[in-house]
Amino acid sequence: MAEQNNREESVEEMEIRSWKNKLVWAWIITIPLLAFMYSEMVFGLGIVSMKTTTLILLALGFPIIFVLGWSTIRSGLRGFYKLQFSMDSLISLGTIIAYFTGFFAYFELTQDYSGVSSMIMTIFITGKYIEARAKGKASNEIKKLLELGAKKAIVLRDKKEMVVDISEVLVGDIMVIKPGEKIPTDGIVTKGESAVDESMVTGESLPSDKSKGCTVIGATINQDGILYVKATKVGEDTFLSHIIELVEEAQGTKVPIQKVADSITKIFVPIILILALGSFIGWFAGSGDLSKSIGIAVAVLVIACPCSLGLATPITLMVGSGMGAKRGILFRKGEAIQTMKEIKYVVFDKTGTITKGTPELTDVYTAARTSEKDLLSKVASIEKLSEHPVGKAIVNYADLKSYKKVSGFKIVRGKGVLGTINRKKILIGTERLMREHKVSLGSVQKVVESYESDGKTTMIVAESGRVIGAVAVADTVKEESKKVIAYLKRRGYRTVMLTGDNERTAKAIAREVGINKVVAQVLPEDKSNEVKKIQKFGMVAFVGDGINDAPALKQANVGIAMGTGTDIAIEAGDIVLAKGSLRGVAQAIVLSKATFGKIKQNLFWAFAYNIVAIPLAVGGLLHPVVAEIAMALSSITVVSNANLLRRARI
Amino acid sequence: MKKVKLTIYGMHCVACSGIAEKELRKVEGVEKVMISVMTHKAIVEAEDSVNVEDLRSAVENAGYKVVAIK
Repeated sequence: MAEQNNREESVEEMEIRSWKNKLVWAWIITIPLLAFMYSEMVFGLGIVSMKTTTLILLALGFPIIFVLGWSTIRSGLRGFYKLQFSMDSLISLGTIIAYFTGFFAYFELTQDYSGVSSMIMTIFITGKYIEARAKGKASNEIKKLLELGAKKAIVLRDKKEMVVDISEVLVGDIMVIKPGEKIPTDGIVTKGESAVDESMVTGESLPSDKSKGCTVIGATINQDGILYVKATKVGEDTFLSHIIELVEEAQGTKVPIQKVADSITKIFVPIILILALGSFIGWFAGSGDLSKSIGIAVAVLVIACPCSLGLATPITLMVGSGMGAKRGILFRKGEAIQTMKEIKYVVFDKTGTITKGTPELTDVYTAARTSEKDLLSKVASIEKLSEHPVGKAIVNYADLKSYKKVSGFKIVRGKGVLGTINRKKILIGTERLMREHKVSLGSVQKVVESYESDGKTTMIVAESGRVIGAVAVADTVKEESKKVIAYLKRRGYRTVMLTGDNERTAKAIAREVGINKVVAQVLPEDKSNEVKKIQKFGMVAFVGDGINDAPALKQANVGIAMGTGTDIAIEAGDIVLAKGSLRGVAQAIVLSKATFGKIKQNLFWAFAYNIVAIPLAVGGLLHPVVAEIAMALSSITVVSNANLLRRARI
Repeated sequence: MKKVKLTIYGMHCVACSGIAEKELRKVEGVEKVMISVMTHKAIVEAEDSVNVEDLRSAVENAGYKVVAIK
């Protein structure tokens, strides 16, 4: 992994380094060339004859164009041979024509443009260098992801701690992670307690507490305790590798608006070739001035900038994806960025999306002469013996150091549990369980009703035939749900919640978080149909966990899959949120809009530049060198502007 | 089906990546090509029978260099 990352990274560095070398040499030759050319041609010092001047310019220009510019010339000429044109075709044709005017000039047939041709190539190389640098900057965040992985790990082998290369860590190895160190790879904590900073992978800024049984993600940072972690995933199967893969694959997908630009880019070069030829013929026929006509044709060839058009979208997508990845928002398809601005409805799955997905104890009611502590210790001691999720919620909440001795524990299916503590019989369960044991509810009745109207599962507790309290358990909403939904509503989105739960529970949750509309009792397989129904009124973004909601995520115009723990559902959703936080939904919307806005802006500038510049060149108003400078600036502008996306507040 | 990741050197913009993409698609058995000038990568989904060296020569035919294959 590490080795491969280094190699991948170097492609970009290779490009930057290679352009830099060319740039230095090109200017070393161009500066004296310029000095000489101006002293002879402009100021007419006449140190040497015109013919000698031409020969010197040709000699100096040769290494610039045919050595430093060779990769461009070769790729450009291949384009003519194969009829597959690119940017290089224009530059190579432009410089070669200009260079060869030197030979014509020697025989006094035309003006000498060979010095100009060297300058064009030098400026082109300079522009490419700046562009390569800016492109490198655009992928900064992604590069950081690649560098994130740990290089070494400490593993226990034969009960001894050994430092090994990350590639040698095997599934099942126990890794020892000291405070301040990176967790080498995904795993489960087997011993120790610590807080782990997961911000680099999930975007979550608060460290999360880890103890035995918790899953940890490779590349996150252990903060204050020693952790013993059993490796569960290594190499390409890790969470981080999946994230990187998602982001990289997304770069190869298209944003629809780009299709127009792409198809123009592809026919752009042939059109410019025809335009250049047309300008040459037109000017020559009109003025009879061969030199001027050649100059204009060269200007047309070098001013056209398909690159700015062709880079506008991919470079902006790259910057946007990187910004997302940093925050745990992974765009899988470029299309989602564009579709997002059309979205009218945001549809949420309930369980695990708006709510935490695991029940928690929400209310405790105690009858007179009973303390909460006493009630909870009895209830938790008995519930500890049941495997029911509701029981677990109570045990977790009570968090007892020691449990009371329980005898005669029994589960009454669908009604509750019973057991005896200190020779007193305790019942925990529904109204029906109480009635069957002839326990009168009395004042607790009202409490139970109010809990249940909030959609909570309520259990009454009775001791020796008398009610001593009640506890309510519910799937609680995530802390941020309310804020995120309020935000979406402020932005004009309609919010809908789909759930398999009964109407009452669903409505209670919807009321709590402020959702507009609820569709309850939806079978899992019908979720996509419900999405389809809503789509009749407008475009829908569906937010759900990637595991159960795949069809609905696919059906929606934009599917936003919530990642949970260390598994990301790669195949589901157009956008994947690495951490299960709803805040990512709001951020993804803002980021998509900002990115798409920047793409449009870049495409506008690229089009505008070509539409203004090309006619100026055809009209003979621009010197070829000025034309080349304009071209270089236009593509630098586009790539730099893409980098400005980072200023957007997400 | 298999997935091959090619790291490519020398592409400037979509005009270039478009040429490389076209050449890759011409290779018999190639189903899908996702290529990006920004990552310098082409992710090719192809039938198992496809030889990676054919993919390499397709890219080289387009005028670019393959620096890594995975």
